[in-house]
Amino acid sequence: MTTDIDPVIVARDIHKKYEEITAVNGISFEVHRGEVFGMLGPNGAGKTTTVEILEGMRDADSGDAIINGINVKDDPNAVKAIIGVQLQQNAFFDNLKLSEIVDLYAKLYLATVDPIEVLSRVGLDNRKNSKYAELSGGQKQRLSIAVALVNDPVVLFLDEPTTGLDPQARRQLWELVRKIQKGGATIVLTTHYMEEAEELCDRIAVVENGEIIALDTPDALIDQLLATGFKPEKRIREATLDDVFLNLTGHDLRD
Amino acid sequence: MKIYLALTVASLKMYFRNKQALFWALFFPLLIMIIFGLMNFDKYSSPNVGIYDGADNEASRALIQALQGNSEQELLDVEMGTLDEVHHELEFGGSRAVIEIPANYGAPGEFSELKVTYDERFQQERAVVSTILGQVTDAVFKEVAQVPDEYRVENAIGISESFITGQGQGFKAWLIPGVAAMAIMQTGLFTVVFTLVRFKSQGVLRRLKATPIGASHFLAGQLTTKAIVVVLQTYVLVIVGAIVLSVSVGNGRIGAWLDLTILALLGGALFIAIGLAVSGWAKNEETAAPIANIISMPMMFLSGVFFPLSVMPDWLTQWSQYLPLTYLADGMRAITVEGAAITTLGNELIGLGVWIVISFVVATKMFRWE
Repeated sequence: MTTDIDPVIVARDIHKKYEEITAVNGISFEVHRGEVFGMLGPNGAGKTTTVEILEGMRDADSGDAIINGINVKDDPNAVKAIIGVQLQQNAFFDNLKLSEIVDLYAKLYLATVDPIEVLSRVGLDNRKNSKYAELSGGQKQRLSIAVALVNDPVVLFLDEPTTGLDPQARRQLWELVRKIQKGGATIVLTTHYMEEAEELCDRIAVVENGEIIALDTPDALIDQLLATGFKPEKRIREATLDDVFLNLTGHDLRD
Repeated sequence: MKIYLALTVASLKMYFRNKQALFWALFFPLLIMIIFGLMNFDKYSSPNVGIYDGADNEASRALIQALQGNSEQELLDVEMGTLDEVHHELEFGGSRAVIEIPANYGAPGEFSELKVTYDERFQQERAVVSTILGQVTDAVFKEVAQVPDEYRVENAIGISESFITGQGQGFKAWLIPGVAAMAIMQTGLFTVVFTLVRFKSQGVLRRLKATPIGASHFLAGQLTTKAIVVVLQTYVLVIVGAIVLSVSVGNGRIGAWLDLTILALLGGALFIAIGLAVSGWAKNEETAAPIANIISMPMMFLSGVFFPLSVMPDWLTQWSQYLPLTYLADGMRAITVEGAAITTLGNELIGLGVWIVISFVVATKMFRWE
């Protein structure tokens, strides 16, 4: 992989306006190599815009986004070459088999991969001859992660990867994210599931109205809240409804 | 290069797995071609006669009018032209006879000879033309036209007949290149519009934007695919059409295939550019389809694909002769029916060139990735 530069992501005072609306209003943060960095916030808070600026998909009005030492606005294609991207809305060519899709995307990065091996990493090797349209929601998300892994990325961006998935598929995806992290990649994850952030993220940035209003480890954030004398409305139970559902329907995937 | 190849191979795979696209590109035009070709419209056509008027005076115009007959009795279907034009038409089946009116026609006291040339393969038409010509030349000086008295000299007109063996193969041969041109239009326009608009609305293009490849790579791959499809499609339509309807292609000139390939590529480029412009403008498939139809439908019927422009009223043909598909169909027809070399098709090449430039300029202004 490329030379180790820590922090692997530097965002410095990024601003972005869409006509009248300010989407990102001076966001700065750093992501360390090998961590899972969560971006949390309600819809329209500016998470996706921030991530898309880091990915080179959008230009910032001002500020710098630096990935592995490369400033995105100087050389967006060099950044795109070393990152993996899963967009909120993913779509792939129809009339191609999954193995052909993976192979095609690998070639776009001039990478040589074994498509079956890449598919097996996300548990889709048994669907290698299927078409994208034939996949379930969870499988589609896993394919888009597989495609994001073809260039062995330094940073993997996952934008709401579990939205719309059932609890079984969501848990399987979490497993996958942990596995990828163990493989050495840095992961930037946006989500609005707090449970997901708590489960996966080493550190969390809470974004609201285009600004980061809190940034720390999940435990530290919770401790800080409790230190203010906060008491949850509900009695804390040992299990959640999610656990009930999974206990009743089993952990096996339904697709 | 590797990226471009990968994209081209992938989009070729996608194209040939798309049954619907294949149906419209190959089976539908073939079906139309064979059905219309087997109908044999030639049977019902009245004799077409090309006239070269070397005199161009009152007397010759009176003769031409007399040959055409009047509203009560129509005689010959007359097409005027230069000596070269009318003989060219006869040679390639556009007419059944040529009448040359000499320069001294109608000059007092002089003997003038009308030279008539027939296509010997059409004896029935020859008989009709010959009879009408005989009766009219007799009558012109007696009663039909208002001719000055001094022109009324008996036996002043002679008629000499000669024959050629024309190469015209009738409506079938005429139809094949027209349908092939129409199919190029459909492929260029519709497959581009439908694939690009779908990729755009589904977000496939957006996902590609997240990779390090440039937009140009993707477009180049798409264009190469369409170019390959357009050429293959033209070969299939012309070859199968020629076999099923038993006509020859390009008078057996081997170079005709190269010329046809070049013309198919030019036509493909033109309609792909129009397709790009439409897909740039349209947000989704629902708006793209009607626009593509509004562009292609009129051309299907006004560009001389199924019947010649000459049967249409003049006020219409003075516009429709400038349509992109007219240039393409005329050019392909000249190559396959007449065996013309592409270098002789100045008019068609200029017409196509102008349209290609206009379309690409509009397309680059209109195209958007998202």
